[in-house]
Amino acid sequence: MRIRYLVKKEFIEIFRQKELLPMLFISPLIMITILGYIVKTDIENLPVDIINLSKNKAAYRIINRIKQTPLFNLKHVFYESRDTIDTLKKGDVKAVIVFRDSLEKPLSKDAPARYPEIQVLMDGVDSNTSAVAAGYFNGILKNYILTDIGRTDIGLPVEAKTLIRFNPELKSINYMGPGIVALLLTILALFFTSISIVREKEQQTLDTLLISRLRPIEIYIGKAVPMAIIGLIHMFAGLTVVMLWFKIPVRGNLLYLLVAAFIFLGAILSYALLISILASTQQQALFFSWFSMVTFILLSGLFTPTQNVPVGLQFLVKINPLAYLIKIIREIFLKGNGIEYFYKDLLSLAVITVVIMTISLLNFKRFISK
Amino acid sequence: MKRMKAVIVKEFAHILRDPISLIIVFLMPVLMMFIFGYSINFDMERVEAGIIDFADSETSQKLVKKFINNHYFVVENLEEKYPAPIEAGEKLLKAGKLKEVIIISTDFSENIKNRRRAEIGIIIDGSDSNVANLVYQYNERILLDFISEYRNLDELLKIHTNVLFNPELKSAFFFVPGLIAILLVMISALLTSLSISREKESGSIDLLFISPLKSPEIIIGKTIPYIFVSLIAGSIILLFARFWFGVPVQGNLVVLLLFSLLYIITSLSLGILISTIAPSQKIAMFATLLITLLPSIMLSGFIFPLESLPPVLRAISYVVPATYFLRIIRGVVVKGAELRHYISEGTALVIFASVLLTFASIKFSRNRKKAK
Repeated sequence: MRIRYLVKKEFIEIFRQKELLPMLFISPLIMITILGYIVKTDIENLPVDIINLSKNKAAYRIINRIKQTPLFNLKHVFYESRDTIDTLKKGDVKAVIVFRDSLEKPLSKDAPARYPEIQVLMDGVDSNTSAVAAGYFNGILKNYILTDIGRTDIGLPVEAKTLIRFNPELKSINYMGPGIVALLLTILALFFTSISIVREKEQQTLDTLLISRLRPIEIYIGKAVPMAIIGLIHMFAGLTVVMLWFKIPVRGNLLYLLVAAFIFLGAILSYALLISILASTQQQALFFSWFSMVTFILLSGLFTPTQNVPVGLQFLVKINPLAYLIKIIREIFLKGNGIEYFYKDLLSLAVITVVIMTISLLNFKRFISK
Repeated sequence: MKRMKAVIVKEFAHILRDPISLIIVFLMPVLMMFIFGYSINFDMERVEAGIIDFADSETSQKLVKKFINNHYFVVENLEEKYPAPIEAGEKLLKAGKLKEVIIISTDFSENIKNRRRAEIGIIIDGSDSNVANLVYQYNERILLDFISEYRNLDELLKIHTNVLFNPELKSAFFFVPGLIAILLVMISALLTSLSISREKESGSIDLLFISPLKSPEIIIGKTIPYIFVSLIAGSIILLFARFWFGVPVQGNLVVLLLFSLLYIITSLSLGILISTIAPSQKIAMFATLLITLLPSIMLSGFIFPLESLPPVLRAISYVVPATYFLRIIRGVVVKGAELRHYISEGTALVIFASVLLTFASIKFSRNRKKAK
């Protein structure tokens, strides 16, 4: 129960810093709102130029279609050749589409007039966007041709009826929102716990704490508990925004989420402890926790699928608590899965906690005696 | 000038006194580059699909084979494995074992033979909208391929798609230059964000206050040493990108260096401004992280194309320095763009740096007056 006083001291310290408070409590809300709007991974409004050298009517009709799709944002239509490479280098447009009249003769007298030859010059730097855009564009053209000749024929012989489960409108916010809630739980716990321990080290106040009757583990718990509490407050604030503002459906049981959050906090806080043992100045602690945070976030499956991580680096996903939490939270929110679907992930989180905590505590004494 | 030199020498001494931090600053970006260069990848390399072929005819098998032969798909025949294939498929979808289930109905081949419209049913796990989109497109591509065996579309329409600058559409060409931009802004801003707040915490700021130096001299003097540190870190990252990931530097190296210098100065100025405002190192660090980490990743075009952002956020992206540098570095490194292409972006960086430094000086001299 001695820890209680330490926890109290930590809270006093947090609330004493006036600049810190707004950052602590407003920043997560701003973050989740902005992130919620940003994370539309759908590709829209791709700026393109068109160079139309064709006199074919079909060219005009296809250009009209391009104007209508939300995918493209038609910047200019030119009627003479231009230096396309230079335009793309500047980067104001992502693609230039060129229409030319075909030089070949029609196949037969009955065949419809030939369509213009189309050349698409894409800026391939953003490989993902380019591939998706090229796919869409081909789709638009083929659809156009098919409806054009479809008047006299049966159209597509095969059609796929696609049903999308769990997120039928494919809204990215439904997918990203829960992930961001998981993020809120991470940043503060990892960052502040490690920094605040190292700070005592740097200012030599840790010695004062150590000669008190508190055991090292109690000192750590005293530092970790306030951050865990603030982290949970952040999570609830995040959940509220996600559910009420973005109206993300919750199909599963939120109690499971609470269980998962607790186990996750254990794991992330043991990483914080490890960092505070490794670092001897606040600057070092900052760089260590920054490094782990960015690694945790980018390899968590929040933005890109974790299965793309190469085999040799998969261990980084395995030891990444955020990857498990994001998987669990998405299953609870979108799929309504019960614990039988993710108990293994909870176990992994528990194992991470135990292993990292053991490593840290084995070194705890050593670091103090230095 | 001579007085400023003293501040510069002092700050260098500060930097060199903590060699561990210095090593971290140089090594960490390389490590991150190594990890992320391999791991951040949008392409779906594997789509686990379950197929239930009720038609089980020559035609339907041809379609199934198209899915199997496509290297993206790992196809599992659910009909052979489970007595109730549709329910099993749903369950596997829910557990995340499958990304989609394709159902071919019994009358599929009949319909095609009689030139009626044939339908197949596809259920996709939409919980990751990005993945679902890609899966949907792969399906469409395979179906079009299948359709074109019945009707030759290519004969009617000629589309040549030329992908410039990155013909193989390698993700690394997109992400690696982007990572350079992200890592540079974070390292630079974090470094300087501590430089003044550290002095505040230890109390040595008073010595600076009572020195005869003018506030801008102190601010600029404190920034200059870090230009070297960041430039070295930046060069290490760039060399690593070039020789490890094989990202060719198409443009002029001098141009790249010039723009990098501008970007580094802008980032350092941001850090120093935060440093003058924040009362302690902890707050300085946290503020820097908030200001640099997420906006640089989310609002700069690093992952998501800026054009797709809603207008309000699009507007915010204009005040994120990384937005400009991302355009520049991708242009110069991958496209071989020249100085004249990016005059406006360079000007924006210069304006940012001057505004930030001016604010930092003003804030610093205010602190000074208050202290007196």
